[in-house]
Amino acid sequence: MIDLRNLTIEKAHEHFKSGDFTVTDLVNEYLKVIKEKNGDINAYLEVYNDVLDQARVAEGMFKNGTATLMTGIPLALKDNMLYKGHIASASSKILENYVATYDSFIVKQLKTQGVVFLGRTNMDEFAMGSSTETSAYGNTKNPIDTSRVPGGSSGGSVAALAMDGALVSLGSDTGGSIRQPAAFCGLVGLKPTYGAVSRFGIISMGSSLDQVGTFGKTVEDAETLFNAINGYDEKDSTSVKKEERIQPLPLKKKIGVPRSFLSGDGIESDILKNFEENCKRLEKAGYEIVDISLPLIKYSLAVYYIISPAEVSSNLARYDGIRYGLHEGADKLYEVYTKSRGKGFGKEVRRRILLGTYILSHGYYDAYYNTAIKVRHAIKEELKNAFKEVDAIITPTSPFMPFKFGEKLSDPVGMYLSDLFSVPANIADIPAISIPSGKNSEGLPFGLHIMAPLFREDILFTIGKDFEKLV
Amino acid sequence: MKLEDIKKLADLARIDMSDEEMEGMAKDFDPILAYVGQVQELSKLGIEDTIHSPENYKLQNIMREDIATNTRGEYTDDIMKNAPDTENGFIKVKQIL
Repeated sequence: MIDLRNLTIEKAHEHFKSGDFTVTDLVNEYLKVIKEKNGDINAYLEVYNDVLDQARVAEGMFKNGTATLMTGIPLALKDNMLYKGHIASASSKILENYVATYDSFIVKQLKTQGVVFLGRTNMDEFAMGSSTETSAYGNTKNPIDTSRVPGGSSGGSVAALAMDGALVSLGSDTGGSIRQPAAFCGLVGLKPTYGAVSRFGIISMGSSLDQVGTFGKTVEDAETLFNAINGYDEKDSTSVKKEERIQPLPLKKKIGVPRSFLSGDGIESDILKNFEENCKRLEKAGYEIVDISLPLIKYSLAVYYIISPAEVSSNLARYDGIRYGLHEGADKLYEVYTKSRGKGFGKEVRRRILLGTYILSHGYYDAYYNTAIKVRHAIKEELKNAFKEVDAIITPTSPFMPFKFGEKLSDPVGMYLSDLFSVPANIADIPAISIPSGKNSEGLPFGLHIMAPLFREDILFTIGKDFEKLV
Repeated sequence: MKLEDIKKLADLARIDMSDEEMEGMAKDFDPILAYVGQVQELSKLGIEDTIHSPENYKLQNIMREDIATNTRGEYTDDIMKNAPDTENGFIKVKQIL
Protein backbone atom coordinates (compact mmCIF):
# COMPACT_ATOMS: atom_id res chain seq x y z
CA MET A 1 0.00 0.00 0.00
CA ILE A 2 1.29 3.43 -0.95
CA ASP A 3 0.34 6.38 1.28
CA LEU A 4 -1.38 8.40 -1.43
CA ARG A 5 -2.74 11.03 0.97
CA ASN A 6 0.74 12.28 1.88
CA LEU A 7 2.44 11.63 -1.43
CA THR A 8 4.04 14.59 -3.23
CA ILE A 9 5.83 14.86 -6.57
CA GLU A 10 9.23 14.93 -4.90
CA LYS A 11 8.47 11.92 -2.66
CA ALA A 12 7.13 9.91 -5.61
CA HIS A 13 10.25 10.79 -7.58
CA GLU A 14 12.50 9.55 -4.74
CA HIS A 15 10.53 6.30 -4.54
CA PHE A 16 10.80 5.78 -8.31
CA LYS A 17 14.56 6.33 -8.11
CA SER A 18 15.12 4.07 -5.12
CA GLY A 19 12.84 1.43 -6.61
CA ASP A 20 10.50 1.13 -3.55
CA PHE A 21 7.72 1.15 -6.07
CA THR A 22 7.57 1.59 -9.83
CA VAL A 23 5.52 4.02 -11.91
CA THR A 24 3.22 1.11 -12.82
CA ASP A 25 2.72 0.28 -9.11
CA LEU A 26 1.71 3.87 -8.37
CA VAL A 27 -0.53 4.14 -11.42
CA ASN A 28 -2.26 0.90 -10.41
CA GLU A 29 -2.90 2.31 -6.91
CA TYR A 30 -4.59 5.35 -8.43
CA LEU A 31 -6.61 3.19 -10.84
CA LYS A 32 -7.81 1.17 -7.85
CA VAL A 33 -8.98 4.31 -6.02
CA ILE A 34 -10.69 5.61 -9.16
CA LYS A 35 -12.49 2.29 -9.62
CA GLU A 36 -13.61 2.39 -5.99
CA LYS A 37 -14.68 6.03 -5.70
CA ASN A 38 -15.39 7.49 -9.13
CA GLY A 39 -18.85 5.93 -9.45
CA ASP A 40 -19.96 8.09 -6.54
CA ILE A 41 -17.78 11.21 -6.96
CA ASN A 42 -17.80 11.43 -10.81
CA ALA A 43 -14.48 13.28 -10.96
CA TYR A 44 -13.36 11.48 -14.13
CA LEU A 45 -15.46 11.27 -17.29
CA GLU A 46 -12.97 8.85 -18.79
CA VAL A 47 -9.90 6.95 -17.70
CA TYR A 48 -7.62 6.71 -20.74
CA ASN A 49 -7.06 3.23 -22.15
CA ASP A 50 -3.33 3.77 -22.62
CA VAL A 51 -2.44 4.58 -19.00
CA LEU A 52 -0.30 1.48 -18.45
CA ASP A 53 1.54 2.03 -21.76
CA GLN A 54 2.35 5.57 -20.62
CA ALA A 55 3.64 4.16 -17.31
CA ARG A 56 5.99 1.83 -19.17
CA VAL A 57 7.37 4.73 -21.23
CA ALA A 58 8.08 6.59 -17.97
CA GLU A 59 9.81 3.55 -16.49
CA GLY A 60 12.00 3.39 -19.58
CA MET A 61 13.06 6.99 -18.93
CA PHE A 62 14.18 6.06 -15.43
CA LYS A 63 16.16 3.15 -16.87
CA ASN A 64 17.93 5.19 -19.55
CA GLY A 65 18.62 8.16 -17.32
CA THR A 66 16.38 10.74 -19.04
CA ALA A 67 13.83 10.99 -16.21
CA THR A 68 12.94 14.41 -14.79
CA LEU A 69 11.06 15.33 -11.61
CA MET A 70 7.77 15.01 -13.53
CA THR A 71 8.49 11.60 -15.09
CA GLY A 72 5.90 9.01 -14.12
CA ILE A 73 3.76 11.47 -12.15
CA PRO A 74 0.07 10.48 -12.56
CA LEU A 75 -1.95 13.52 -13.57
CA ALA A 76 -5.58 14.35 -14.45
CA LEU A 77 -6.46 16.57 -17.42
CA LYS A 78 -9.50 18.82 -17.53
CA ASP A 79 -11.94 17.83 -20.28
CA ASN A 80 -11.12 20.99 -22.30
CA MET A 81 -7.47 20.01 -22.97
CA LEU A 82 -6.59 18.28 -26.23
CA TYR A 83 -4.71 14.99 -26.02
CA LYS A 84 -4.28 13.54 -29.51
CA GLY A 85 -6.44 10.50 -30.26
CA HIS A 86 -8.60 10.98 -27.14
CA ILE A 87 -11.97 12.61 -26.61
CA ALA A 88 -12.06 16.20 -25.33
CA SER A 89 -15.67 17.31 -24.86
CA ALA A 90 -15.57 20.41 -22.59
CA SER A 91 -18.32 18.45 -20.79
CA SER A 92 -20.74 19.46 -23.55
CA LYS A 93 -23.10 17.33 -25.64
CA ILE A 94 -21.98 19.27 -28.70
CA LEU A 95 -18.47 17.73 -28.42
CA GLU A 96 -19.50 14.35 -27.00
CA ASN A 97 -17.60 12.36 -29.64
CA TYR A 98 -14.93 14.88 -30.59
CA VAL A 99 -11.51 13.20 -30.86
CA ALA A 100 -8.52 15.54 -30.56
CA THR A 101 -6.50 15.66 -33.78
CA TYR A 102 -3.40 17.14 -32.12
CA ASP A 103 -1.81 17.61 -28.69
CA SER A 104 -2.25 20.84 -26.76
CA PHE A 105 1.01 22.61 -25.87
CA ILE A 106 0.76 21.53 -22.24
CA VAL A 107 0.18 17.87 -23.14
CA LYS A 108 3.12 17.96 -25.55
CA GLN A 109 5.39 19.47 -22.89
CA LEU A 110 4.35 16.95 -20.26
CA LYS A 111 4.51 14.00 -22.67
CA THR A 112 8.20 14.65 -23.36
CA GLN A 113 8.75 14.58 -19.59
CA GLY A 114 7.01 11.20 -19.28
CA VAL A 115 3.99 12.35 -17.25
CA VAL A 116 1.18 9.76 -17.05
CA PHE A 117 -2.21 11.17 -18.10
CA LEU A 118 -4.78 9.19 -16.14
CA GLY A 119 -7.91 10.59 -17.72
CA ARG A 120 -10.12 13.61 -18.35
CA THR A 121 -12.17 15.22 -15.62
CA ASN A 122 -15.66 16.66 -15.41
CA MET A 123 -16.21 20.42 -15.59
CA ASP A 124 -18.92 23.01 -16.04
CA GLU A 125 -19.93 22.96 -19.70
CA PHE A 126 -17.31 24.98 -21.65
CA ALA A 127 -16.05 26.12 -18.21
CA MET A 128 -19.16 28.22 -17.59
CA GLY A 129 -20.10 27.78 -13.97
CA SER A 130 -18.82 27.69 -10.40
CA SER A 131 -20.13 24.32 -9.23
CA THR A 132 -19.60 21.79 -12.08
CA GLU A 133 -23.42 21.47 -12.13
CA THR A 134 -23.68 22.75 -15.72
CA SER A 135 -21.79 19.70 -17.07
CA ALA A 136 -23.79 17.61 -19.55
CA TYR A 137 -22.43 14.51 -17.81
CA GLY A 138 -23.78 14.81 -14.28
CA ASN A 139 -22.65 16.44 -11.06
CA THR A 140 -19.26 15.93 -9.46
CA LYS A 141 -19.44 15.56 -5.69
CA ASN A 142 -17.12 17.27 -3.24
CA PRO A 143 -15.12 14.38 -1.68
CA ILE A 144 -14.99 16.28 1.65
CA ASP A 145 -18.80 16.40 1.90
CA THR A 146 -20.65 14.60 -0.88
CA SER A 147 -23.83 16.64 -0.38
CA ARG A 148 -21.92 19.68 -1.59
CA VAL A 149 -20.47 20.92 -4.89
CA PRO A 150 -16.70 20.76 -5.51
CA GLY A 151 -16.75 24.26 -6.99
CA GLY A 152 -16.07 24.92 -10.63
CA SER A 153 -15.53 25.04 -13.38
CA SER A 154 -12.54 22.70 -12.78
CA GLY A 155 -14.56 20.65 -10.27
CA GLY A 156 -13.53 17.24 -11.61
CA SER A 157 -9.82 18.08 -11.51
CA VAL A 158 -9.98 19.05 -7.81
CA ALA A 159 -12.26 16.17 -6.87
CA ALA A 160 -9.84 13.73 -8.55
CA LEU A 161 -7.09 15.03 -6.26
CA ALA A 162 -9.22 15.31 -3.14
CA MET A 163 -10.35 11.67 -3.47
CA ASP A 164 -6.69 10.59 -3.99
CA GLY A 165 -7.42 9.66 -7.59
CA ALA A 166 -4.40 11.58 -8.99
CA LEU A 167 -1.19 13.09 -7.63
CA VAL A 168 -1.65 16.46 -9.37
CA SER A 169 -4.04 17.86 -11.95
CA LEU A 170 -4.53 20.64 -14.47
CA GLY A 171 -7.35 23.14 -14.72
CA SER A 172 -8.21 26.29 -16.61
CA ASP A 173 -9.25 29.57 -15.04
CA THR A 174 -11.24 32.30 -16.78
CA GLY A 175 -12.72 34.00 -13.71
CA GLY A 176 -11.80 31.74 -10.79
CA SER A 177 -12.28 28.23 -12.18
CA ILE A 178 -9.06 26.94 -10.59
CA ARG A 179 -8.91 28.90 -7.35
CA GLN A 180 -12.53 28.62 -6.16
CA PRO A 181 -12.71 24.80 -6.54
CA ALA A 182 -9.26 24.50 -4.90
CA ALA A 183 -10.67 26.40 -1.92
CA PHE A 184 -13.84 24.26 -1.88
CA CYS A 185 -11.84 21.01 -1.78
CA GLY A 186 -8.98 22.09 0.49
CA LEU A 187 -6.25 22.13 -2.17
CA VAL A 188 -3.74 24.53 -3.69
CA GLY A 189 -4.79 26.05 -7.03
CA LEU A 190 -2.64 28.35 -9.18
CA LYS A 191 -3.75 30.64 -11.99
CA PRO A 192 -0.56 31.86 -13.68
CA THR A 193 -0.04 35.20 -15.43
CA TYR A 194 -1.96 35.52 -18.71
CA GLY A 195 0.58 34.56 -21.38
CA ALA A 196 2.75 32.38 -19.11
CA VAL A 197 1.26 29.05 -20.20
CA SER A 198 0.21 28.49 -23.82
CA ARG A 199 -3.52 28.20 -24.55
CA PHE A 200 -2.80 26.25 -27.76
CA GLY A 201 -5.07 23.20 -27.77
CA ILE A 202 -7.30 24.36 -24.92
CA ILE A 203 -10.98 24.64 -25.87
CA SER A 204 -11.59 28.40 -25.73
CA MET A 205 -14.09 30.14 -23.50
CA GLY A 206 -12.98 33.79 -23.09
CA SER A 207 -9.72 34.13 -24.99
CA SER A 208 -8.50 37.31 -23.28
CA LEU A 209 -9.10 35.76 -19.84
CA ASP A 210 -8.47 31.98 -20.11
CA GLN A 211 -5.31 30.63 -18.53
CA VAL A 212 -4.17 27.06 -17.78
CA GLY A 213 -3.04 26.39 -14.24
CA THR A 214 -2.20 23.72 -11.71
CA PHE A 215 -3.60 21.91 -8.67
CA GLY A 216 -1.62 20.19 -5.93
CA LYS A 217 -1.94 19.18 -2.32
CA THR A 218 1.01 21.44 -1.55
CA VAL A 219 2.30 24.74 -2.89
CA GLU A 220 5.44 22.96 -4.01
CA ASP A 221 3.52 20.45 -6.16
CA ALA A 222 1.51 23.24 -7.82
CA GLU A 223 4.81 25.06 -8.43
CA THR A 224 6.64 22.02 -9.85
CA LEU A 225 3.83 21.29 -12.29
CA PHE A 226 3.67 24.98 -13.26
CA ASN A 227 7.43 24.96 -13.99
CA ALA A 228 6.88 21.98 -16.29
CA ILE A 229 4.33 23.80 -18.49
CA ASN A 230 5.48 27.42 -18.16
CA GLY A 231 7.07 28.75 -21.33
CA TYR A 232 6.77 30.55 -24.63
CA ASP A 233 4.84 28.93 -27.48
CA GLU A 234 4.85 30.39 -30.98
CA LYS A 235 1.46 28.76 -31.65
CA ASP A 236 -0.25 31.03 -29.10
CA SER A 237 0.05 34.65 -30.22
CA THR A 238 -0.64 35.87 -26.67
CA SER A 239 2.17 33.75 -25.22
CA VAL A 240 4.94 35.96 -23.81
CA LYS A 241 8.62 35.33 -24.62
CA LYS A 242 10.87 34.61 -21.65
CA GLU A 243 13.02 37.69 -22.25
CA GLU A 244 9.94 39.93 -22.25
CA ARG A 245 8.81 38.72 -18.84
CA ILE A 246 9.43 40.67 -15.66
CA GLN A 247 12.37 39.33 -13.69
CA PRO A 248 12.13 38.52 -9.95
CA LEU A 249 13.21 41.19 -7.45
CA PRO A 250 13.70 40.80 -3.68
CA LEU A 251 10.52 40.92 -1.60
CA LYS A 252 9.50 43.94 0.47
CA LYS A 253 7.69 41.52 2.80
CA LYS A 254 4.66 43.79 2.66
CA ILE A 255 1.16 42.50 1.85
CA GLY A 256 -1.85 44.68 1.03
CA VAL A 257 -5.45 44.15 2.14
CA PRO A 258 -8.14 46.01 0.18
CA ARG A 259 -10.41 46.62 3.19
CA SER A 260 -13.34 48.27 1.45
CA PHE A 261 -13.54 45.36 -1.04
CA LEU A 262 -14.12 43.00 1.91
CA SER A 263 -17.06 44.94 3.30
CA GLY A 264 -19.44 44.25 0.41
CA ASP A 265 -22.71 42.34 0.66
CA GLY A 266 -22.95 38.57 0.52
CA ILE A 267 -19.62 37.68 2.15
CA GLU A 268 -20.10 35.06 4.89
CA SER A 269 -18.95 36.13 8.36
CA ASP A 270 -17.01 32.87 8.96
CA ILE A 271 -14.99 33.60 5.85
CA LEU A 272 -14.08 37.08 7.11
CA LYS A 273 -13.15 35.68 10.53
CA ASN A 274 -10.85 33.12 8.93
CA PHE A 275 -9.36 35.88 6.79
CA GLU A 276 -8.43 37.93 9.86
CA GLU A 277 -6.73 34.85 11.32
CA ASN A 278 -4.82 34.45 8.07
CA CYS A 279 -3.55 38.05 8.31
CA LYS A 280 -2.24 37.27 11.80
CA ARG A 281 -0.56 34.09 10.54
CA LEU A 282 1.24 36.08 7.85
CA GLU A 283 2.33 38.67 10.42
CA LYS A 284 3.75 35.82 12.46
CA ALA A 285 5.68 34.72 9.37
CA GLY A 286 7.28 38.17 9.24
CA TYR A 287 5.08 39.99 6.73
CA GLU A 288 3.77 43.48 7.29
CA ILE A 289 0.03 43.68 6.55
CA VAL A 290 -1.12 47.09 5.31
CA ASP A 291 -4.49 48.47 4.24
CA ILE A 292 -4.65 49.54 0.62
CA SER A 293 -7.32 51.38 -1.29
CA LEU A 294 -8.52 49.85 -4.56
CA PRO A 295 -11.72 51.73 -5.40
CA LEU A 296 -12.18 50.19 -8.86
CA ILE A 297 -11.54 46.52 -8.07
CA LYS A 298 -15.18 45.90 -7.06
CA TYR A 299 -16.21 46.56 -10.66
CA SER A 300 -14.14 43.57 -11.89
CA LEU A 301 -17.05 41.13 -11.77
CA ALA A 302 -19.34 43.41 -13.79
CA VAL A 303 -16.53 43.90 -16.33
CA TYR A 304 -16.06 40.14 -16.44
CA TYR A 305 -19.73 39.42 -17.14
CA ILE A 306 -19.55 41.73 -20.13
CA ILE A 307 -16.21 40.73 -21.65
CA SER A 308 -16.52 37.00 -21.05
CA PRO A 309 -20.00 36.46 -22.59
CA ALA A 310 -18.95 38.66 -25.52
CA GLU A 311 -15.92 36.43 -26.14
CA VAL A 312 -18.01 33.30 -25.51
CA SER A 313 -20.56 34.26 -28.15
CA SER A 314 -17.75 34.73 -30.68
CA ASN A 315 -15.71 31.65 -29.70
CA LEU A 316 -18.66 29.28 -29.64
CA ALA A 317 -19.85 30.35 -33.09
CA ARG A 318 -17.53 27.63 -34.44
CA TYR A 319 -19.87 24.86 -33.26
CA ASP A 320 -22.06 24.61 -36.32
CA GLY A 321 -22.78 20.87 -36.60
CA ILE A 322 -20.86 20.71 -39.89
CA ARG A 323 -17.14 20.11 -39.36
CA TYR A 324 -17.22 18.27 -36.04
CA GLY A 325 -19.43 17.73 -33.05
CA LEU A 326 -23.11 17.07 -32.73
CA HIS A 327 -25.05 17.21 -35.99
CA GLU A 328 -28.82 17.41 -36.29
CA GLY A 329 -30.15 16.73 -39.77
CA ALA A 330 -32.64 19.20 -41.30
CA ASP A 331 -33.84 20.32 -44.72
CA LYS A 332 -32.20 23.72 -44.64
CA LEU A 333 -28.70 24.77 -43.60
CA TYR A 334 -30.10 27.38 -41.19
CA GLU A 335 -31.98 24.63 -39.38
CA VAL A 336 -28.92 22.38 -39.23
CA TYR A 337 -27.23 25.21 -37.31
CA THR A 338 -30.12 26.09 -35.00
CA LYS A 339 -31.05 22.47 -34.23
CA SER A 340 -27.46 21.26 -33.70
CA ARG A 341 -26.68 24.21 -31.43
CA GLY A 342 -30.06 24.04 -29.69
CA LYS A 343 -29.55 20.39 -28.84
CA GLY A 344 -25.81 20.53 -28.22
CA PHE A 345 -25.53 23.48 -25.82
CA GLY A 346 -26.84 23.39 -22.25
CA LYS A 347 -28.84 26.11 -20.56
CA GLU A 348 -26.01 28.17 -19.03
CA VAL A 349 -24.03 28.12 -22.28
CA ARG A 350 -27.10 29.28 -24.21
CA ARG A 351 -27.68 32.04 -21.67
CA ARG A 352 -24.12 33.34 -22.02
CA ILE A 353 -24.10 33.15 -25.82
CA LEU A 354 -27.32 35.19 -25.91
CA LEU A 355 -25.97 37.63 -23.33
CA GLY A 356 -22.81 38.09 -25.40
CA THR A 357 -24.84 38.48 -28.57
CA TYR A 358 -26.87 41.22 -26.88
CA ILE A 359 -23.80 43.00 -25.49
CA LEU A 360 -22.12 43.06 -28.89
CA SER A 361 -25.21 44.08 -30.82
CA HIS A 362 -25.65 47.42 -32.53
CA GLY A 363 -26.77 50.09 -30.09
CA TYR A 364 -25.44 48.36 -26.97
CA TYR A 365 -21.81 47.75 -27.92
CA ASP A 366 -20.57 51.11 -26.63
CA ALA A 367 -22.60 51.07 -23.45
CA TYR A 368 -21.41 47.63 -22.42
CA TYR A 369 -18.41 46.21 -24.26
CA ASN A 370 -16.44 49.38 -24.95
CA THR A 371 -17.08 50.71 -21.45
CA ALA A 372 -16.01 47.39 -19.93
CA ILE A 373 -12.75 47.42 -21.90
CA LYS A 374 -11.98 50.92 -20.57
CA VAL A 375 -12.74 49.91 -17.00
CA ARG A 376 -10.59 46.81 -17.45
CA HIS A 377 -7.61 49.02 -18.33
CA ALA A 378 -8.31 51.26 -15.35
CA ILE A 379 -8.40 48.23 -13.01
CA LYS A 380 -5.08 47.02 -14.46
CA GLU A 381 -3.55 50.43 -13.76
CA GLU A 382 -4.98 50.51 -10.25
CA LEU A 383 -3.42 47.12 -9.40
CA LYS A 384 -0.12 48.00 -11.08
CA ASN A 385 0.15 51.09 -8.89
CA ALA A 386 -0.76 49.13 -5.76
CA PHE A 387 2.08 46.70 -6.44
CA LYS A 388 4.57 49.58 -6.19
CA GLU A 389 3.94 49.52 -2.44
CA VAL A 390 3.24 45.85 -1.69
CA ASP A 391 4.50 42.44 -2.89
CA ALA A 392 1.08 40.86 -2.92
CA ILE A 393 -2.61 41.50 -2.26
CA ILE A 394 -4.71 39.09 -0.23
CA THR A 395 -8.45 38.39 0.08
CA PRO A 396 -10.50 35.28 0.82
CA THR A 397 -10.78 33.01 -2.26
CA SER A 398 -14.57 32.66 -2.22
CA PRO A 399 -17.19 34.85 -0.52
CA PHE A 400 -19.03 31.70 0.62
CA MET A 401 -18.40 28.13 1.75
CA PRO A 402 -18.99 25.06 -0.50
CA PHE A 403 -22.74 25.05 -1.11
CA LYS A 404 -25.25 22.25 -1.65
CA PHE A 405 -26.39 20.94 -5.03
CA GLY A 406 -29.10 23.08 -6.59
CA GLU A 407 -28.68 25.89 -4.06
CA LYS A 408 -27.54 28.52 -6.56
CA LEU A 409 -28.44 26.98 -9.91
CA SER A 410 -31.64 28.97 -10.40
CA ASP A 411 -30.04 32.30 -9.39
CA PRO A 412 -27.47 33.23 -12.07
CA VAL A 413 -26.27 36.44 -10.40
CA GLY A 414 -25.89 34.61 -7.05
CA MET A 415 -23.79 31.94 -8.77
CA TYR A 416 -21.75 34.60 -10.61
CA LEU A 417 -20.82 36.17 -7.23
CA SER A 418 -18.67 33.05 -6.57
CA ASP A 419 -15.95 34.79 -8.58
CA LEU A 420 -16.06 38.10 -6.67
CA PHE A 421 -12.52 37.83 -5.27
CA SER A 422 -10.92 35.67 -7.94
CA VAL A 423 -11.97 37.58 -11.05
CA PRO A 424 -9.80 40.73 -10.64
CA ALA A 425 -6.69 38.61 -11.38
CA ASN A 426 -8.16 37.56 -14.75
CA ILE A 427 -9.21 41.12 -15.55
CA ALA A 428 -5.68 42.38 -14.77
CA ASP A 429 -3.84 39.33 -16.30
CA ILE A 430 -1.92 38.81 -13.02
CA PRO A 431 -1.07 35.52 -11.26
CA ALA A 432 -3.00 34.36 -8.20
CA ILE A 433 -3.14 31.32 -5.96
CA SER A 434 -5.58 29.80 -3.47
CA ILE A 435 -4.12 28.05 -0.43
CA PRO A 436 -6.03 26.04 2.20
CA SER A 437 -6.40 28.12 5.38
CA GLY A 438 -8.16 25.85 7.87
CA LYS A 439 -11.63 24.40 8.27
CA ASN A 440 -14.94 25.51 9.78
CA SER A 441 -16.86 23.61 12.51
CA GLU A 442 -18.40 21.35 9.83
CA GLY A 443 -14.99 20.43 8.47
CA LEU A 444 -15.39 22.47 5.29
CA PRO A 445 -12.21 24.16 4.03
CA PHE A 446 -11.39 27.88 3.84
CA GLY A 447 -9.03 29.37 1.25
CA LEU A 448 -6.61 32.28 1.26
CA HIS A 449 -6.30 34.10 -2.07
CA ILE A 450 -3.01 35.80 -2.97
CA MET A 451 -2.41 38.00 -6.05
CA ALA A 452 1.01 39.14 -7.30
CA PRO A 453 2.31 41.38 -10.11
CA LEU A 454 2.66 40.10 -13.69
CA PHE A 455 4.99 37.08 -13.99
CA ARG A 456 5.76 37.10 -10.26
CA GLU A 457 4.46 33.61 -9.51
CA ASP A 458 7.61 33.30 -7.37
CA ILE A 459 6.02 35.68 -4.83
CA LEU A 460 2.94 33.47 -4.60
CA PHE A 461 5.10 30.39 -3.97
CA THR A 462 7.28 32.12 -1.35
CA ILE A 463 4.37 33.54 0.64
CA GLY A 464 2.36 30.37 0.07
CA LYS A 465 5.05 28.12 1.52
CA ASP A 466 5.52 30.40 4.53
CA PHE A 467 1.77 30.44 5.10
CA GLU A 468 1.28 26.69 4.58
CA LYS A 469 3.55 25.91 7.55
CA LEU A 470 1.33 27.94 9.89
CA VAL A 471 -2.04 26.35 9.06
CA MET B 1 -36.18 42.22 -21.53
CA LYS B 2 -39.09 41.12 -23.73
CA LEU B 3 -39.64 37.67 -25.21
CA GLU B 4 -39.37 39.22 -28.68
CA ASP B 5 -35.86 40.49 -27.89
CA ILE B 6 -34.73 37.04 -26.73
CA LYS B 7 -36.20 35.49 -29.90
CA LYS B 8 -34.19 37.92 -32.00
CA LEU B 9 -30.99 37.06 -30.09
CA ALA B 10 -31.62 33.31 -30.39
CA ASP B 11 -32.06 33.79 -34.14
CA LEU B 12 -28.82 35.81 -34.41
CA ALA B 13 -26.95 33.19 -32.36
CA ARG B 14 -28.54 30.32 -34.36
CA ILE B 15 -29.88 28.47 -31.32
CA ASP B 16 -33.22 26.68 -31.41
CA MET B 17 -35.00 27.23 -28.09
CA SER B 18 -38.49 26.61 -26.75
CA ASP B 19 -40.75 29.59 -25.96
CA GLU B 20 -40.81 28.44 -22.35
CA GLU B 21 -37.03 28.60 -22.04
CA MET B 22 -36.89 31.97 -23.77
CA GLU B 23 -39.46 33.37 -21.35
CA GLY B 24 -37.33 32.19 -18.42
CA MET B 25 -34.26 33.71 -20.01
CA ALA B 26 -36.00 37.03 -20.54
CA LYS B 27 -36.57 37.12 -16.77
CA ASP B 28 -32.95 36.09 -15.99
CA PHE B 29 -31.54 38.84 -18.19
CA ASP B 30 -32.86 41.79 -16.20
CA PRO B 31 -30.89 41.20 -12.95
CA ILE B 32 -27.78 40.26 -14.98
CA LEU B 33 -27.95 43.44 -17.06
CA ALA B 34 -28.63 45.51 -13.95
CA TYR B 35 -25.51 44.01 -12.36
CA VAL B 36 -23.18 44.51 -15.32
CA GLY B 37 -24.68 47.95 -15.94
CA GLN B 38 -22.60 49.13 -12.95
CA VAL B 39 -19.72 49.78 -15.33
CA GLN B 40 -21.62 52.71 -16.77
CA GLU B 41 -21.27 54.56 -13.44
CA LEU B 42 -17.57 54.73 -14.12
CA SER B 43 -17.81 57.05 -17.06
CA LYS B 44 -18.66 59.63 -14.39
CA LEU B 45 -15.47 58.91 -12.44
CA GLY B 46 -13.17 60.49 -15.01
CA ILE B 47 -11.05 57.43 -15.74
CA GLU B 48 -10.95 58.18 -19.47
CA ASP B 49 -7.58 59.94 -19.33
CA THR B 50 -5.72 57.06 -17.71
CA ILE B 51 -7.08 54.70 -20.32
CA HIS B 52 -5.77 56.48 -23.35
CA SER B 53 -2.12 56.57 -22.36
CA PRO B 54 -0.22 54.75 -25.14
CA GLU B 55 1.43 52.47 -22.57
CA ASN B 56 -1.90 50.73 -22.16
CA TYR B 57 -2.15 49.82 -25.80
CA LYS B 58 0.76 47.51 -26.38
CA LEU B 59 -1.28 44.98 -28.34
CA GLN B 60 0.24 44.16 -31.69
CA ASN B 61 -0.21 41.65 -34.46
CA ILE B 62 1.92 38.53 -34.26
CA MET B 63 2.98 37.42 -37.73
CA ARG B 64 4.80 34.39 -39.04
CA GLU B 65 6.27 33.43 -42.40
CA ASP B 66 3.65 32.10 -44.79
CA ILE B 67 5.12 28.62 -45.09
CA ALA B 68 3.58 25.20 -44.48
CA THR B 69 4.39 23.82 -41.04
CA ASN B 70 3.11 20.31 -41.69
CA THR B 71 3.21 17.85 -44.55
CA ARG B 72 0.31 17.74 -46.99
CA GLY B 73 -2.50 15.51 -45.71
CA GLU B 74 -0.86 14.96 -42.32
CA TYR B 75 -4.06 15.69 -40.40
CA THR B 76 -6.67 15.14 -43.13
CA ASP B 77 -7.91 11.69 -42.11
CA ASP B 78 -8.16 12.57 -38.40
CA ILE B 79 -10.01 15.78 -39.12
CA MET B 80 -12.39 14.14 -41.61
CA LYS B 81 -13.19 11.40 -39.08
CA ASN B 82 -14.67 14.08 -36.81
CA ALA B 83 -17.00 15.41 -39.53
CA PRO B 84 -20.56 14.13 -39.12
CA ASP B 85 -21.47 13.98 -42.81
CA THR B 86 -18.89 13.34 -45.55
CA GLU B 87 -18.72 12.03 -49.10
CA ASN B 88 -15.59 11.21 -51.17
CA GLY B 89 -13.32 13.28 -48.93
CA PHE B 90 -15.65 16.27 -48.81
CA ILE B 91 -17.73 17.55 -45.91
CA LYS B 92 -21.38 17.70 -46.92
CA VAL B 93 -23.53 20.78 -46.32
CA LYS B 94 -27.13 21.51 -47.20
CA GLN B 95 -27.83 23.69 -50.20
CA ILE B 96 -27.14 27.32 -49.30
CA LEU B 97 -28.96 29.24 -52.05
